[in-house]
Amino acid sequence: MNALLPLWSFVVRTSVKWPVLRTLAPFVPVVALWWAVAAWGPFPPAFFPSPPDVWTKFVTLMEKGILPEYLGDSVGRLAIGAAVGIGLGVPLGLWVGLSKGAHRALWPVLLFFQAIGDIAWLPILIIWFGFGLTTMTFVIVYTVLFPVILNTVLGVRSVRIELHRAAQSLGAPPWRILTEVVVPGALPNIMTGLRNGLGYGWRALIAAEMIVGTSGIGFLMFDARRAGSVTEIVLGMIVLGILWYIVDAWILAPIEQATGRRWGLVTQ
Amino acid sequence: MKSLSLKNLAKTYFDAYKGEHVTAIRDVSLEVPAGEFVSIVGPSGCGKSTILNMVAGFIPHSGGDILVGGEAVKGPGPDRGVVFQSFALFPWKTVLDNVGFGPKMRGVPKAERDAIAREYLALAGLSHAADRYPNELSGGMQQRVGVVRALANQPDVLLMDEPFASVDAQTRMTLQDELSRIWEERRPTVVFITHDVPEAVFLANRVVVLSKGKVLAEVDVPISRPRVWDRLVADDQFKDLSNQVLALVRSA
Repeated sequence: MNALLPLWSFVVRTSVKWPVLRTLAPFVPVVALWWAVAAWGPFPPAFFPSPPDVWTKFVTLMEKGILPEYLGDSVGRLAIGAAVGIGLGVPLGLWVGLSKGAHRALWPVLLFFQAIGDIAWLPILIIWFGFGLTTMTFVIVYTVLFPVILNTVLGVRSVRIELHRAAQSLGAPPWRILTEVVVPGALPNIMTGLRNGLGYGWRALIAAEMIVGTSGIGFLMFDARRAGSVTEIVLGMIVLGILWYIVDAWILAPIEQATGRRWGLVTQ
Repeated sequence: MKSLSLKNLAKTYFDAYKGEHVTAIRDVSLEVPAGEFVSIVGPSGCGKSTILNMVAGFIPHSGGDILVGGEAVKGPGPDRGVVFQSFALFPWKTVLDNVGFGPKMRGVPKAERDAIAREYLALAGLSHAADRYPNELSGGMQQRVGVVRALANQPDVLLMDEPFASVDAQTRMTLQDELSRIWEERRPTVVFITHDVPEAVFLANRVVVLSKGKVLAEVDVPISRPRVWDRLVADDQFKDLSNQVLALVRSA
């Protein structure tokens, strides 16, 4: 048993030095299992490709420039969704959160439209806007927007009345209360809304690209189905997973934690 | 520092659920001269926090007048600093920025308001905590910040709503010692709400006993200053006054 301790210590030290190893390590058995099943051979390679097949495909598509281009298209659409979602969702959420009248009038409506999930809009959108960018942009913006609005409203309403009163009695006019109290108080919720919204939006976007797209990762996968290339479909799935992991774990989660945790507004 | 005067103050509100008018404050008149420390004590539900919220301008009053330095109060304002039971510090601001918030709202430049905040933090022995966030501090430390944040804005009247009710007993006595010292140094006009009779007597020049929305009695506290618990714990005059006020509160 003691012989394993130096090995364990080596693992701990290297994973502290290279945190990315801690992310990658759990995938080693997953890939190993996949590889073993592919090598064992109950399925033909065209039906169940092995890791090297997918890697070769990846290199080919990178060299041809197809993957970078489609990836850029999908990420660009996600970025537009995020930008519009924040630009529209946060102000709307602040308004509905602060105004009792707006909250009474709009909250049930917001919940109603939140419930009509993203791609449930596709049939009518295709009739209205056809197969193209407008339809996809609508779906992604719609999907990002509602979680951002709803969470912003919750965030605004979670700011304790004493904080409003403290700011007032220290001489803060209404717009300074908005910038100094309401927005920072709601920020952890806004970030949570954005994180959820982008997560849903990313999935909705891929679905929309499959159905109405002419480019993007979703289109790549659906087009590969037509050509019968399982390798390309698997590659698309892996790209989706890795990309979302990067966006969520390296960008969104750190921001969410940096705002909430230091202030004690979010518990571990 | 300015005086505070309440003239026939009343508060009734309509309870929509019960469908009837409720009287919280019947008829309260009170004069607090500039630089005086007045404690208001009374049992739960006697309306002491309602009075403070009206004076602070957080809720409207339905009758009578609230005058600060002779001028009628309209809504919340920086002339009346408030210390809350729940501390109400801004969690996303450092201690320094919390204390500098009032001056910031007045448009005082950054360097100057930091200097003001540091001066007041030093007053409460908090200089070392300037760059910390509120949730990194103990309850007692947080309320010290709450007190100096209100003081740093140099209000005409300081309103304190059971400020030490949610800290432990030892810390509470330390905070009372410190508040007493700070008051002796700066002589602000203070209205201090509490249900703790010894606390009310220890701190105040005068204790007002409230009952059912009315002033039941006013008791002067002529105990000499500086007041510290080490001395007052065994002081006969302090004990007699505390017992006198306690009897009034119990009869309320």
